[in-house]
Amino acid sequence: MSQSEAVIEIRNLSKVYRDFWGRPKVKALNALSLDIRKGEVFGLLGPNGSGKTTTMKLLLGLLFPTEGEITILGKSAADVSKNERIGYLPEESYLYRFLNAYETLDFYGRLFDMSAAERKERSEKLLDLVKLAPQARRRQLKEYSKGMTRRIGVAQALINDPDLVMLDEPTSGLDPLGNRDMKDLILDLKKQGKTVLMCSHLLADVQDVCDRIAILYGGELKVMGRVDELLKAQDETQILSSKLSDAAVKDVQEVLKKHGANVLKIDHPTANLEDLFLKTVQESRERPGHRTVIEGKSAS
Amino acid sequence: MNKLTSQQRKLMYLIGIIVLLIPIIQLSLPADGKKNPGGWLSQLRTKYDLGESDLGDVDASGAAINLVLLGMRGVAVNLLWIEMDQQKDMKRWAEMQATTESIVRLQPHYEKVWDINGWNLAYNTSAEWDAVPDRYYWVKQGEKLLKRGVARNKRSTELYYRAGKVLQHKIGYADESVDYRKYFLSDPDPAFNGGPDPEINPDGKDNFLAAKDWFLESCERETTRPQHILDRSLFRATPARCQFDYAAGLQKDGRFGEETRAAWELARQDWTEKYGREIFHAVIGPDESDIRMEMTEDDVKQIAKTPDDELRVRRAVDQYQKMVNYAYWRMRAFAEAEPDTAEAHRNFFEAKQAFKAQEFEKARASAFSGMEAFDKLFKRPEYKNLVDEELLTEECMLGWKIWDDIHQIAQEKVPEDFPLKWLVEMKITNDSIMKQVNKQFKRLFLDSR
Amino acid sequence: MYFDPNENLIYPLYALSNWVLTTGGLMFVVLFVSLANLLVTRGKSGVGVFFAEIRGMISDVFSISPRRIWALTRLTFMEAYRRKALAVFVVFAVMFMFAGWFMGDTQEITPDQVKVYVSFVLTSISWLTLPVVLILCCFGIPEDIRLRSIHTIVTKPARRIEIVLGRMIGVSMIGVLVLLVMGTVGYIWIVRQTPERSQKFLVCRVPQYGGIKFINRDGDEGTGVNVGDIWAFRNYIEGATKARAVWQFRNVDESVLDADGNLQLENSFSAFRSYKGDMTRSLFYDIKFYNPENGVSYTTDPQPVNEFRSKLDKIPRKLTVDDVQYDLIKDLVTKNKFLHVEIACIDREQYIGMARPDLFIRMPNRPFWVGYWKAVLGIGLIVVLVSMIGVAASTIVKGPIATVLTFVLYVLSGKNSHQFMDALMSGDFKGGGVLESIYRLVTHMNPTTDLPETPAFYVVKGFDLILTSFLWLCKQVIPRLQSFNMTEFVANGFDVPFNVSILPSLLVTTAFIIPCVMLGYFALRVRELESK
Repeated sequence: MSQSEAVIEIRNLSKVYRDFWGRPKVKALNALSLDIRKGEVFGLLGPNGSGKTTTMKLLLGLLFPTEGEITILGKSAADVSKNERIGYLPEESYLYRFLNAYETLDFYGRLFDMSAAERKERSEKLLDLVKLAPQARRRQLKEYSKGMTRRIGVAQALINDPDLVMLDEPTSGLDPLGNRDMKDLILDLKKQGKTVLMCSHLLADVQDVCDRIAILYGGELKVMGRVDELLKAQDETQILSSKLSDAAVKDVQEVLKKHGANVLKIDHPTANLEDLFLKTVQESRERPGHRTVIEGKSAS
Repeated sequence: MNKLTSQQRKLMYLIGIIVLLIPIIQLSLPADGKKNPGGWLSQLRTKYDLGESDLGDVDASGAAINLVLLGMRGVAVNLLWIEMDQQKDMKRWAEMQATTESIVRLQPHYEKVWDINGWNLAYNTSAEWDAVPDRYYWVKQGEKLLKRGVARNKRSTELYYRAGKVLQHKIGYADESVDYRKYFLSDPDPAFNGGPDPEINPDGKDNFLAAKDWFLESCERETTRPQHILDRSLFRATPARCQFDYAAGLQKDGRFGEETRAAWELARQDWTEKYGREIFHAVIGPDESDIRMEMTEDDVKQIAKTPDDELRVRRAVDQYQKMVNYAYWRMRAFAEAEPDTAEAHRNFFEAKQAFKAQEFEKARASAFSGMEAFDKLFKRPEYKNLVDEELLTEECMLGWKIWDDIHQIAQEKVPEDFPLKWLVEMKITNDSIMKQVNKQFKRLFLDSR
Repeated sequence: MYFDPNENLIYPLYALSNWVLTTGGLMFVVLFVSLANLLVTRGKSGVGVFFAEIRGMISDVFSISPRRIWALTRLTFMEAYRRKALAVFVVFAVMFMFAGWFMGDTQEITPDQVKVYVSFVLTSISWLTLPVVLILCCFGIPEDIRLRSIHTIVTKPARRIEIVLGRMIGVSMIGVLVLLVMGTVGYIWIVRQTPERSQKFLVCRVPQYGGIKFINRDGDEGTGVNVGDIWAFRNYIEGATKARAVWQFRNVDESVLDADGNLQLENSFSAFRSYKGDMTRSLFYDIKFYNPENGVSYTTDPQPVNEFRSKLDKIPRKLTVDDVQYDLIKDLVTKNKFLHVEIACIDREQYIGMARPDLFIRMPNRPFWVGYWKAVLGIGLIVVLVSMIGVAASTIVKGPIATVLTFVLYVLSGKNSHQFMDALMSGDFKGGGVLESIYRLVTHMNPTTDLPETPAFYVVKGFDLILTSFLWLCKQVIPRLQSFNMTEFVANGFDVPFNVSILPSLLVTTAFIIPCVMLGYFALRVRELESK
C-alpha cells in the first residue's frame, strides 16, 4: 500500500468548548496528531463523546481549533475552496426535508458550479449507486425512512466525485442489507483510489473496511495502527476449529500443557476489534495517558 | 426543587394548574340560559346589562377585528387616536374620518368615544371649512356618527342627548343657522334632489322637532340610567325647550299663522303640564322630598307637615324654578299662545317688510297695530314681567322706532301719547337694548335704500 | 395639498456624498463590531483572524458564482413555497372581501374617498407582505443552523457571502412576488370599487413646482402670517393689503401649455377668516403675471377660494390688457424662461394660506397605474431593505430575536421616530434624558423647572449625555424610510416624482447592501455553526 502522500495532517489539535461567559467547559480534544494518507480507509473509533465528531468538524472548518494545525488536501481547514474535493456525510442527515431526491442532488450540484447536464447525469448515476427506489425519488425527503435518508445523504456527499470522503457514522440506522451496501460502497471508493475517513462506534463495520484505525477516548488518542496488525500483535494464539467434543478439548489442553503454554480460555471466537475496543476503554479508565501506536513497518 | 423527582414535579404542576383553574372558572364561567347564572364576571355582566347584544346592535366586523387583535386592542386604539390627532392637525379630514371609523369600530361601547368623535366632526371639523354647504356636510357627518353610536348603545342616555344636541344647538344656534336649518329640510347635496338627507332627517322634520325626539328618548332612558351632563332639572327640560326653539324659529322665519300659535300652545303644554309636573328630589330640611315645578296648594300641603316645612318647600321650588328660568318661559309660552300675540308679532314683521320696501304708510299702520297689541299684552297682570324679556322689548322698541322714524320722514309731529310710550321711556336709557335696536334699524334702513 | 411633496427632495451631489458616507459608516460599524467580537472570543490571535477574514472576504467576492447564489435563492424560494408561507394570500383575500365594511358607503365617491381606497390598498399590502418577509428572512439561516442543514452547505464550496446573498435575494424575490400579486389584485379592487363616474379621480397629476416667497402687508419681503395652525406648513397673506405670495416657475415655455394652448395653474389655497362676514360668499384671490424685464403684467378676475379641494385656473395664451394683445409665453415669460406669478387676497381682513406646493403648473396627466406601481415599487424597496437587514441580523442572533430586532429597526426608521430622536438629541424635548426624566417623573417635577445645580445632577446630566451620544450613534445606523412611502402622492392623485421619492429610496436601499452582506459574511465566518 502506498503511504506517500498525507491527505490530512493533524498536528497537536485541541478543542475546548466554552460556556456563555467564555469559561472553559469541556475539553473535547487534547493534542491530537495524526496523518491520513491518500487512498486509505481510515476509521476513527471511540465511545460517545470521545471527540470523533469534533475532529471531523474541525477538519471541515465547522468548528475552530483552540490550538493546533490542520492541513487538509494541502489547504487550511478554514479555506472553503478545499471543499471542491471533499464529500461529507453528516452524522444524521441534515438535508432539506422539503426537497425531493432529484432537487436535493440538483441543489448540491449547483453548489459545485456543475452544469445542468452534468447535474442530471450525476444525479441519476448516484441514485442508482445508492439504490434509492425510483418511485421514491420524486417524494419529499420528509416522507423518507431513516435508511432512505441515509442513502440520499451518501449520494449528496458523492455529487462532486470527491477525492476525500468523510463519513460520520455511515451505517447508523441501516438494516443489515443496507449495511452491506454501504460497506461495499466504501470498498468501492477505495478501489477508485479515494481516501475515506469515517468515524463509527459500530466496530464490525470498521473492522471490515478500514485499513487503519484510531481509537479516541476522552478527547485523546489511545490506539492507532493498521487493523490487522493491531489485532495480531499480541502474545496470544487463538485456536479456531470446528466444534470439539469435551474429550477433544481435554486432549488439546493436554497438548498445550505439554508445550508449556497456559490455557487462558477456550470458547467461541468473538469480534476481535470489540475486545480491543473494550480493552482500550477499560485501560484508559484505569491508566489515563497510556497510548499504543502500532504503525506499519514502513512508517517507522 | 432538584430534590423532587420528575413525577413529583409534574404532580406539583397539576395541583398548581387546578388551584389556578378554580378562581378562573369562578370568574369567567359563561352563563347558560336561565339555569346557570354563570361565573362572577357573567353575573356582573347580567347585573349591569353589559352583554354585547344587550347594549345595542352587534357589529360583526368590529367584533371580529377585536378578536383578531388578541387583546392588543388597547395598543391599537391608542395608536389610532394619536394618528387621528395628527391628521386633524394637518387638516387631512378624509383620513381623519377614516381613522375615526376604525376607532369607533374598536371601541363600540365606549360612549365617550362616540360623543367626542361626533363632536369633533360636527363642531371642530365643520368650522375648519369655508363654504357653508361644506360646513353643513361635516355637521351631518357628526350627527350620523352619533346616530350610529346610539344604535350600538341603545341604553345610553347621554348619546341620545348628544345626537339631539347637535340638531338643536349646532344646526339651530350656529352663526350659519339660517342656512343650516334650510339645509336640514332641503339638503344642498344634489344627490337628495332638494329633499332632506334621509339618514339624519327621514321624516323631513324641523331640526328642533327632530332634536326634541332625540331628547324625549334620552329623557326616557334617564329614569333608569342617570346622565352626567347637566343638572337633572335642566336635562329634563330639554324636549320642552326644543319646542320653544321651534316656535321661536317659526317666528324668525316670518311665519305667524295658526301653525306658529299652535307650536307655542304645544310648548306651553310641554312646559307646564309635562315638564312642570316632573318630580325632582330636593333636600328640604333633613329629608328629601319630591317637588315639582308646578305645585298646587294641595301638592305643597301633602309633603309639608308644618308651616315651616311649607316655607322650605316653596323656597326649594323657587330655587329650582330659577335654575331653569321656569317662570319666564311659562309666562312667555302663555303669552305667545294667545292669538293676539301672534297677531302683534305679525304686525311688527309686516312693518319691517313694508319699511324695507319703502311703503311707509303701510309700515306705520302695521307698527302702530303691533304697538297697540303689545301695550295691551304687557298691561295684563299675568304678563307684567314680560317687560324684562330683552328679545321681546327689542322687538317692541324696533317697532316703535320704525313708527317714530316714519313720522320724521313724513315731517309730521309724533303724537303726544301713543301705545307703549311708557315702555319707550323705560328702555330708551338701556344701552344694551338700544344698541341692538339701532343696529337692526340701521340694517333695515340700509336695506331700504 | 395636505402633505409636503418636497419633503425628501435631494440633490444629486449631496445624495452621492451622503450615500458614500452612509455606506462607509455602516461598513465601519460592521468592521469594528467584528474586530471587537474576535478580540473578545479569540484573544490576541483575533487580530490575525480579522485580517485573514477581510482577505478571505475580498477573495470570496472574486470567486462568487452566480449559479451557487441562484441555487441558494431557489432553495429559499422552495422553502417558503413548500412551507406554505404564501398562505398570506388567504389573509389578503379575506381582508379585501370584508374591506367594504370599513370603507363606508360606495354610492358617493369623492376624491377623498378615492384617497382612502388607495391608502387602504397600499397600506394593507405593505403590512401583509412585511411579516412574511420578516419571518422568512429572520428564520431562514437560524433554522438552517439549528437543523444543521447549513453543514451540508458550508462543507460544499459555497462561500459564506453567497449564502448571505442567496438568502437576501431569495427572500426579496418572494416579497416582490407577493407584492406583485397583491398589487395587481389591489389595483383591480380600486378600479372596480370606484364607480364609472368617479373614475376621473383616478389620475396621476404631474405638477411643476416653483419657488415661493412672501411679501408682507407693507410691501416688504416677509414670511407670511401664521394664523395659529399647529401644522405650520402654510403661511397666510392678508387681504386688501400689499401682502402677496410670489411664485417663480422655471423653464416655462410652450411645452407647459395644454392642448388648447392654456396654462393650467392648479392651487389648493386655504381660507382663514378673521371674522365670519357673509358666510355664503367665499374668499377671493387674483393671479397676476408679470415680466420684470418689459414691465408687462396681467391680472385675472377674482377667483373664489375652494378650500380643501384643488382648483384649476386655465389661463389663455392670448391675453388682453387695456386693448393690447399680449402673448403669455412671449411677453410674460422672461428670457431665462422664468414666469412670475403673484397671488393676492381680495377680501379685507381675511386671509388666504399657501405653501410652496399649493400652486403649480399642471402638466399633462399620467395614467393612474403609473403612480400606483411606483408606490408599489416603494414598498418593494422596503421589502428588499428589510430582507437584507433581517438576513444580516439572523446570521448573528436566533430567529425570534432577529425578527424583533429587524421589526424594531423598521418601526424606528419611520419619519416620526427620526423626528423624535432628533428632538431628543437637540434638546428640544423638555425634561432631559433618561435619568433626568426618571427623576422628574418620580419627584413630579415640572419639565420647565431647572434641575438644582449640585454635583449629583452634573453626574446625572453627564450620564444622560453619554446615553444621548449613544443614541446618536444608533440613529446613524437606522435607515430613514420616509421617502419610501409613496402612498401619499398616489392617494392625493399625483404622480410619484423621481428625485423626491424614488431616487432617495433607491439610494438608501443600496447603501445598506454592502454593509449587510459584510455583516452576514463576518457573522457566518467567525462563529462556529453549531446550534448552541
